[in-house]
Order: sequence, then C-alpha cells, then structure tokens
Amino acid sequence: MNNIDVKFNLNGEPVTAVVPVTWTLLRTLREYFELTGAKEGCGVGECGACTVLIDGESVNACLYPVPEIEGKNVQTIEGLAHPDGTLDPIQQAFIENNGVQCGYCTSGMIMSAKALLEKNPQPAESDIRNAISGNICRCTGYVQIVESIAMAANMQEEK
Amino acid sequence: MINYTYHKPADLAEVFGLLEQHGAKAELIAGGTDVMVYIKQSNHSAEALISLRNLDDLCYIQDNGDYHIGALTTHRMLEQSDLIQTELTALYQGASQVGSIQVRNVATLGGNICNAAPSADTAAPLMIMDARLVLQSSRGEREVAIQDFFVGPSETVKEWDEILTDIIVPKPKGNFGSAYHKHSRRKAMNLPIIGVAIGLSLSAESVIDDARIALTVAAPTPIRVPLAEEYLIGKTLSDDLLKEAGEMASSPECCSPRDSLRCEGWYREDMVRILIPRVAKEAVANANKKDIQ
Amino acid sequence: MTKHRYVGQNYPRTHETEKVTGKAVYIDDLKLPGMLYGKILYSSYANAKIKRIDTSRAKELPGVRAVLTGEDIPEVRVGFIKDQTVLKKGRVRQFRDEVAAVAAITPDIAQAALDLIEVEYEELPGLFDPYEALQKDAPLVHEIDARGRPMRSNILPLPWQFSAGDIEKARQESAFTVKDRVSTTWVNQCCMGPSGCVAEFDTHNNLTFYSQTNVVFGAKQRIADYFAKIGLGGKKIRVRNTVVGGSFGTKLDTDIYEFICIQLALKTRKPVKILFTREEEFKALPPRQPAVFDIEQGCDESGRLTFRHVEAVLDNGAYTSWGATTPSVMMMPISSLYRVPNVFFKATCVYTNNIYAQAMRGYGNPQATFAVETSMDRLAEAAGIDPAEFRYINRNQSNEQTPMNLKITTCGLAECIQEVKKKIAWDQKRGKQNGRGVGMASLIHVAGGARVYKSDGHGIRIKVDDEGHVDVISGGTDQGQGSFTVLAQIIAEALGFRPEDISFNIADTALALWDAGTHASRHTFIAGNAALKACQKVRRQIMEMAAKQMPKLIQMTIKRQSRKDPDFQPPDIDFSLLSDPNNLDIQERRIFLKSDPDNPYCSMDASTVLRQGLHVGTGESQTIMAEVFYDPPTEMLDRQFKGNYSMTYAFGTTGVEVEVDKQTGEVSILNMVAAHDVGKAINPTLIKGQIYGAVYTGSGYALTEEIKLQKGKVMNPNFRDYKILTAKDDIPIEAVIVELGDADGPYGAKGIGEPGLVPTAPAIANAIYDAIGVRITELPITPEKVLDAIKTKEGDAWCE
Repeated sequence: MNNIDVKFNLNGEPVTAVVPVTWTLLRTLREYFELTGAKEGCGVGECGACTVLIDGESVNACLYPVPEIEGKNVQTIEGLAHPDGTLDPIQQAFIENNGVQCGYCTSGMIMSAKALLEKNPQPAESDIRNAISGNICRCTGYVQIVESIAMAANMQEEK
Repeated sequence: MINYTYHKPADLAEVFGLLEQHGAKAELIAGGTDVMVYIKQSNHSAEALISLRNLDDLCYIQDNGDYHIGALTTHRMLEQSDLIQTELTALYQGASQVGSIQVRNVATLGGNICNAAPSADTAAPLMIMDARLVLQSSRGEREVAIQDFFVGPSETVKEWDEILTDIIVPKPKGNFGSAYHKHSRRKAMNLPIIGVAIGLSLSAESVIDDARIALTVAAPTPIRVPLAEEYLIGKTLSDDLLKEAGEMASSPECCSPRDSLRCEGWYREDMVRILIPRVAKEAVANANKKDIQ
Repeated sequence: MTKHRYVGQNYPRTHETEKVTGKAVYIDDLKLPGMLYGKILYSSYANAKIKRIDTSRAKELPGVRAVLTGEDIPEVRVGFIKDQTVLKKGRVRQFRDEVAAVAAITPDIAQAALDLIEVEYEELPGLFDPYEALQKDAPLVHEIDARGRPMRSNILPLPWQFSAGDIEKARQESAFTVKDRVSTTWVNQCCMGPSGCVAEFDTHNNLTFYSQTNVVFGAKQRIADYFAKIGLGGKKIRVRNTVVGGSFGTKLDTDIYEFICIQLALKTRKPVKILFTREEEFKALPPRQPAVFDIEQGCDESGRLTFRHVEAVLDNGAYTSWGATTPSVMMMPISSLYRVPNVFFKATCVYTNNIYAQAMRGYGNPQATFAVETSMDRLAEAAGIDPAEFRYINRNQSNEQTPMNLKITTCGLAECIQEVKKKIAWDQKRGKQNGRGVGMASLIHVAGGARVYKSDGHGIRIKVDDEGHVDVISGGTDQGQGSFTVLAQIIAEALGFRPEDISFNIADTALALWDAGTHASRHTFIAGNAALKACQKVRRQIMEMAAKQMPKLIQMTIKRQSRKDPDFQPPDIDFSLLSDPNNLDIQERRIFLKSDPDNPYCSMDASTVLRQGLHVGTGESQTIMAEVFYDPPTEMLDRQFKGNYSMTYAFGTTGVEVEVDKQTGEVSILNMVAAHDVGKAINPTLIKGQIYGAVYTGSGYALTEEIKLQKGKVMNPNFRDYKILTAKDDIPIEAVIVELGDADGPYGAKGIGEPGLVPTAPAIANAIYDAIGVRITELPITPEKVLDAIKTKEGDAWCE
C-alpha cells in the first residue's frame, strides 16, 4: 500500500495528510486528522452523513478519493464555529429549534445548509428541502431541520 | 483486495500514455460516485485508477451551431445552466435528478453515459436529441451516435483505451420542446423505475413535425421508440392521439420491461402507456415556454 | 394551567451543543488504546449444515489477533427464549447466522481475514412462509428447544391468548359484523448511527462495555447471565453508553454481535470494537415484527362496538428476540382502543428460515392498530355511520377500565378526534370519491411507564456542589429525543435553579441507580417523577442550609459595609424571619425572602449559601444530595394478560388527506394532522419533534418501506433500494398538542415517544379508501398495489 502526501486547506489552515492512496476524504478526516464530525452512515454516497464542503460545494466525503483533495479548500463541521467558540447561525438555530435530535445526520445536514446559505441567503422552503434532499434523517421528519435553516437565514440577515 | 495507484493526468496525451502503460489493468475514474462504490462493494479494484477530473478543457457547455457539452461537465453544472434548462429541458430534468446535490457536484455527464446503467437519467434525454458521442484514443477520434452506443446493461461500444470527450447535441428545428419524467418511489435519491423522455415540435396548427420518444429501464439498454414516433409525426396533437402512442410504446413490439427487485414488469409497462401522454404534454408546454421567453 | 418558569417553555438543546460542532462521541468515534476491530462472517445459506470450517489461512494473515468459530467458545444459548448460540456450530438457520468472527488491528485486515475463512455447507430446503411452517408435516426449523426437549412443531411455546367477555354471544347480538385479513411486513429501524460496541476486560476479567443500549442495566444483567455460563460468574460488568445515533427499538435486546465482541475481547485481552456497516444494519439487525391479522368486529344498531376477535400469525424467523413479545403490546389496542366489551386475541409465533425481529418504535402497536383501525372503518361503512362519528361514539373516556384492566385516568381522545376533524376539514372533504379523500385513525399507548419487568422503576441521584452546579446521575439513557433538556426543565423548575446549572451523567451502571430502560415512551414520566421527588428533598436541604447561613452572611455584609462607610445606615432586617426555611423561596438559583423578594440584602445566589454551608469544618460539613428510586404503583400482567401495567395512557388521532393518481397508483399526502393527548407539554418544540419524526416513519411504513426478502435473503440492504423518506418527500403536517394534565405525571406530563407513529398507516389507508373506493390491507401501500386494486375494480376503464 502506497502512501501519498496531499496538501490542502482544511478549515482555513494549510495542512498535509500522509495517508494510503486508496483512502477516501472521509477516512482521512476521521482517522488522520481525528475530525470525527463527518460520519460514515452508509459509505456509498446514499445518506449524506459524511457531507463536507470542497471549495464551497457539498460532497459525500465517503466517495471522494483523497488524491483529489490536493490544493482544495475543505470545510468540515469542526470549522464552522468561530475560533472563540461562537456558533455559526446554522448551528445556533439547530440548537434553538430542535433541528438536532440524535445528531448523527447533523454534521452533514448543517454543511449542506451552509453550502445553500452561502449561495442563497434567503432560500424558499423548497430550496431548503432541495439542498438537504441528499441528507437522510430518521429522527426529525425534517420539519424542524427546515425550520432551523430558515431561522439561520433570518439570523444571518439580521447581522 | 483494494490496492491501486492513482494518477492525475493534466491532459489527454497523458491519459493515453497512462492507458498505454497500464493497459486493461487500469480503470478510468471521473467523479467517482460510481467507481468508488463498485470498488467498495466488490472489495476489489483495478491496479491503476486514471483520474479524468483535472481535464478542465473537457468541462464546458457551448453553443457552436450545435450544442457541445464536455464529458467532464458535472450534473450540477448542467442543472445550473440556463441554456440547458431552456433549450435541452429533458437533459436538465434528467441531470438535476441524478443522486443528490452531493453526487451531482462531482459526478460527470461522461461518467453517467459510460457507466451505461439501463436507468441512466441522462441517457433518455440525450437519445431523443440524437446526440453524438466523440470518443478519443491514441489511435485517433471517432463519433458514435448515442443510439449505437449502448449494447447491454453496463455495456457500450467504447473500447477500453477510449475516452469520451465531447457530447454533441444537434439543435432541433422548429418549435421544439422536451421533457423527462423519472418515475420513482420517493422524491430524491432514486434510480428510476421507468424513465420517459419526449421531444416534440409542433407546427402552428398543432401538427406534429417532429416526435422523439426514449425509454429507460424498459429494455436492456436505453431505447428509442420509432414505431410510436412515426405514428405521431404528421398528425394533429390530441389526447386520443397521445393515448394511442402510449399504448403503442408500451406494447411488446416497442419495449420489454422486466420484473426486477425494484419493480414488476407489468407496472413498468403500464407506466410507459400512462406517462407518454403526460410527458408529451409537458414537452409541448416547455416549447411554448421558450416562445414566451 | 399554572404558568411555570421553565416547564412548558421551548427551552433549547443547549445541553447537546457537541452534536452541532462535531464533538459528540458516538460509538464509531470511540477509540481506546490498543483497540482491535472485530468483524463477523455470516452464513451463505438460509438453512444448511456446516460441514467444515477452516480458519487457518485467516489466522495466518498478519495483523489478525483472533479468529473464533462455534467450536472455539462455549456453546451457550442466549436470547429471550435461549434458542440460539453466539456463534453457530454445525447448522445455520438463516442468512444472518454468525458463523465466525475475527479481531484484527485494522478493519481492513479483519475484512480480508473473513474472506480467507473457508466454510463448507450442505444446503437444506428452507421454510419462508409462516403458514407453510404451521402445516403438520412441515420440516422443523429447530429440532430441540432451549432445554433440550424435542420440538413437535414450529410454533413457539408462548402463551399469547387473551379473552374477555363472551364473543359468541356478542356476535349473535351484533347488528353488523365485518371480517378482514390485514398484513404488515418487515421494515428496518434505519437508525442513522450504525450499531456497534466496544468491549474491554481488565486483568481480572472484569468487563467495561461501551454500548448504545437503551437498557444499561438490562444489558448488564444479560451479560452477567452469559458470564455465569462461560466461567466468568461474579465478574464485574460496567455498561456505559456513548452518544447514541438513534435506536427506534434496535437497542433494547443484547444482540449477538455484542456477545461476539465480548468473546473477541476476552480472547485477545485487548479492547475490541465491532461496528456495523449499513449493509449489516439491513441484513444482520432484527427489524420490526411482521404480522398477519384476521380480525372480526361487530357493533349494534347504534354503532356501539360489541366484540373484537383477532387472530395473528407472526413470522418469528429462525430465532427469537423481542419481536415475539410484541403480542403483549398488541393486546393493548386490541382490547382497549375504543370501548369494546368482548375481546378475543390469539397470536401464534412461528419459526421460519427468515430473519427474526426485535422491537421497533411502537412495539406491535402500529401493526395491531393497522388491523383495528382498518376494521373500524369497514364496520362504520357496514353500519352506515361516518367513520369519525363511529370512533367518537366508541371513544375511550376518563376514569374507565378496559377489558385488559387498564385503568384509563386522563383521556383526551374526544378532543383529539374533534381537533382532527376540524383541522382536516373532515365534513367538507369526506365522501367525494373523486381521487381525493380523508381518513383517520386513533391510538392508545402506555404513557406512564410500562411494567414489563418486575420493577418499572428509575433511580436518580441529584447533588449540588458549592458553586451551585447540579449534577444529575440517572440510570436512564438517551437516543436523541431530548431527555436532557426535558429533565433539565423539570429539575430547574422544581429546584428553583436554571436549566444551565444542571449537568447530566447518565447511562453508566457503575454510577447510576437502576432503571428499567428508556423504552415504552416511559422516560419523561418515570425519570421525571423520580427527579421531582429527589428535587423536593434537595430543595429542602438547600432551604435549611440557607436558613442557617443567610443570617450570618447578611450580618457579615452589613459589618463590612459599615466598616467601609461610617455613614452607612444598616437596614432593618428581621433575622428571625430569615432563620425559618418556610419563609424562603428560590428562583433562578436566587434565594430570597418570600415576604420581601426585592430586598437586595435578603437575597443571594444559592452558590453563596452553598459555599458557606458546605465544608464548614469538623463535625459540621454536609452534602446536598438526594437519591430516589421511583417505582409507580402499577401491576404486571397476570396469566390472563390483564393488569394495569402503566400509570396512565396516551391517546391520539391522526387525520390525513390524500390524493391518489388513479393511473399510476401513486398516493400523495396533501395534509396531515396529528393530535396527541400528552397531559402536559414540558417542551412543546421537543414534543412536536417527536411527533414529526414518528409521523414520517409511520408514513414510510404506510407507503414506501419494506425489507424485500427472497427466500430469506435481504435483497435491498441499502438506502438506494430501501425507501426511507427524504426531505423532498414533503408531508404538510400539523402537530396538535392536547393538554388536559395528568395528576400522576411530572407537571402533568405523559409519554409521547411512540404514539406519533402508531395510527399513521391506517389513517392513510382509510383516506385512500375515501379517495378511490379501494382498500389496501397489506403494507406498504405501494403504487402497484393501488393500481392493481383499481384495475380489479374498474376493469379496462382504469386508464381513461
């Protein structure tokens, strides 16, 4: 098994990963960087629990070959809050509006929401549902997740 | 055993060089949303993965008289293109329903075509447009009509050392509109039970000048339905006419939907019959929308 | 209703911020030094003899630390009726049978080792239909039972039979009767967090077991029973949970993979983690219990129910987990949903070579309610009475006892039916048969605990430190429903503190007192009541300390100010008032004089009192702490399956408006209203979250979800082909909270975790009937079933 050096930007910081070439981005994040926020809910791109942002776009990290990360900007849930601990409005809204129950889908859900709000700060409900349609949740029935994202959009607008 | 070397060629010449070097032991990978899944599920990989992801030159949507779409264009780019949505509506509808946004952000049109699933969402839309596929290799270049491209489930005429580089979509004439319906059990993250793409062009008196019908998951490969198309051409659009076309298209002469884990054949057959009139009307509406714009 | 400071408010989930920052540690995130990874080899056949297993090549693979088969571990039977061993020896009876297990230094090596294990099978014919398995000459799935006695049939020796009144007489006296067969199939719980555990033994073979179980003490007991049989009797066992990624019933039993993990840890002397892949979640985890019901009901001329006769056949699969106990819960809706004086219920559980089932949210109630509420609609039609009116006529009411001896104390069913009727526009929309229709169904469920074990108790310990921090140590568990928030609100309210002062330490058998488990929607009720009792004691302790310390503290303050400022006029304070705890109150952690709440001299933060009063010195030091074990005064079911096993019951009604595409058979839900009688909503937002989630699962159960089993093999073990609903499958839903208060619940609250799911499927089925005159009695109600039924009804006209 060959290792490769991959240099990229992780949550705003330049990093290098030295990992087996066959690893995915998800495994690299969880095992090399010990950032366990992104989860392996299915491993084959069918649930969205591993969603992270690459150059602002949401992707399933479980299917992303680690060599392709070279030079890219990766953002994970761990990079969302401010360095002083202040939560991103999306994180805050999920806490306030019960958008999180068991929390397993939450990292992926929030990152999908982040990708949406960066491009579309005032989304309609259908935009929100579309943006998270690749993130499966069993606990919430999605209702309060959608409400939380809408709440976050309003919180951002007020700032 | 999963063990491969990973190569990121910067241009086609490098790709051909790598293919030459590794031969049939290499596998091409673009977005990875099919290839990475196969590797995981079979617990087996080729010796070398040759990534096409960095061939930026093959990522474009252009109007040069015909439409040209680079094979490395992602489904998300197609989904977000006004041109595609207006002019190639069926392709827009197909591309925007592949997987999820996370998948569409990396999965490429070329990958969807070459993976050649009988259910591929871009296949039926491209078939009704009589798309032509440009295949390149170290031996040269050739064009294959999409109707000749698929030979079986996951089987195409593409040779192991060829790369799909360009998808040419001839501009349809007249007042042409298209639509694609993906029949599935829920509203996201599906493979279709049946896929129906229709392109129609009407004259001023609602006479059908041009009719194209393509089906997926109704045969071992995506298919056109020439019998029903010919039946429609030259006739005046009406509910009864469309109903007859639907009956014709669902007959054994035109398609052979089978029982599978996902759905029974009888239901697929019924859906071909029911959906054809609906999708046809949507195609006509899309043509009219263009007029208004 | 009294207005409370915290109870009844939508307090946010600030106790669970780790979940939105990626810091929460689930079982997949847990890593211990030297930890190995375990993987399981499953059977290749549904029914076969194991002729030979060769693990030599697997053992030689570098990085492999242990390979176990049934030959390597004691042949101990586990499970509810002890009908399976941990690793199967000599014979496999279902596709998920565990034949071997490997522990290795990485999951990849463990997987590669599995591929090197050679197993030779001799395939045997399998039984996949419970009705076939019931036939007299059917081959036996098990030749001997747990006690070594020969089995005579495939029927499990479980006594599920209930009867009350005189069915035959009631049948004769009925003006209308209807008979139906309805069936439900296997569905998967689909927890987003996969199953898994980590086992670690210490040098003396005491076990620490990191788990996700709902029932830490039940798990400990089952492991202890197992230990006794493998020579580890008396060893200490500590069960502790990580954060849990959903349970929905998957974590109520101790599953085979957990015993395997323990064996691998024992063999290797290292911590071992087993973590399921999603494929294993679908193939190797017991799903919801399927059931076929033959149900007959009757009513008199005025629509009053006379009898209900139900026989059920349950495909038990090859072995037994909690699925076989679902009849004990099915009895509840069958005997007690609506008032029906004469009831008969018999459930037969049959072995087959299919997969076996365990608990899933609702635990038999969704299945049985699908039968009862389908039949109710049919009977209403036979009697010529509107289905909503029919239900209203037969509604349960407060202060009644049902044929199962359930004591209905508070009952909001009437209110729920009326609310749903109004909000779904029942009268305007009913009876059009034009492709759109409305339907409804109701539920009864336990909501005040459930005495399924001898004790239905919860032990809680609440302590307060000298900074005013409250630590709650509870034997309960959490699966994401928000119990931290709800308990924090209850405790803050009762203690006079704030929710943010309260921290929780739960689900650790070494620290906590016994709890029966977070199941049966019992946690808020039972843990809440235990907490209230503990808070009473703690509050009294604090007030007594305050009465002692506050006068001293105030005098010190006055002295200090006088020294600083010679012109300072000391306030006139009645210290004798302050010295009596009955004159003091506490709110938001501030202790004050009731008669003079705004006087700044007579109020202070509790932490000031506590710092002064705790650790005072020799002989005077004390703690502020209380322990309570609350076990409600309910009954276990007797041999006739009668007994009031819960303190109170939840009621609810769901109404649905659907539109059916008659050409494709597709059903769209246009509107859904779920009204629930919850007693008191401690946190309305959290309650709605439970309802929404349950409704979505119930809608999937009704329309899209099914495990496709072909000759015992799961054919759709992934999210692509197992159709759980996505965010785009929008269901316009209104959750209506009916609050009548319940004297027995904490601040009047009853349980809600499962009720939301129970009536969803029959409400949808009933709405479809109203829309197109076609009744589907088999779940899920797929477009194919609908279209097939339409075609049967309308012949060639179906595609017009």
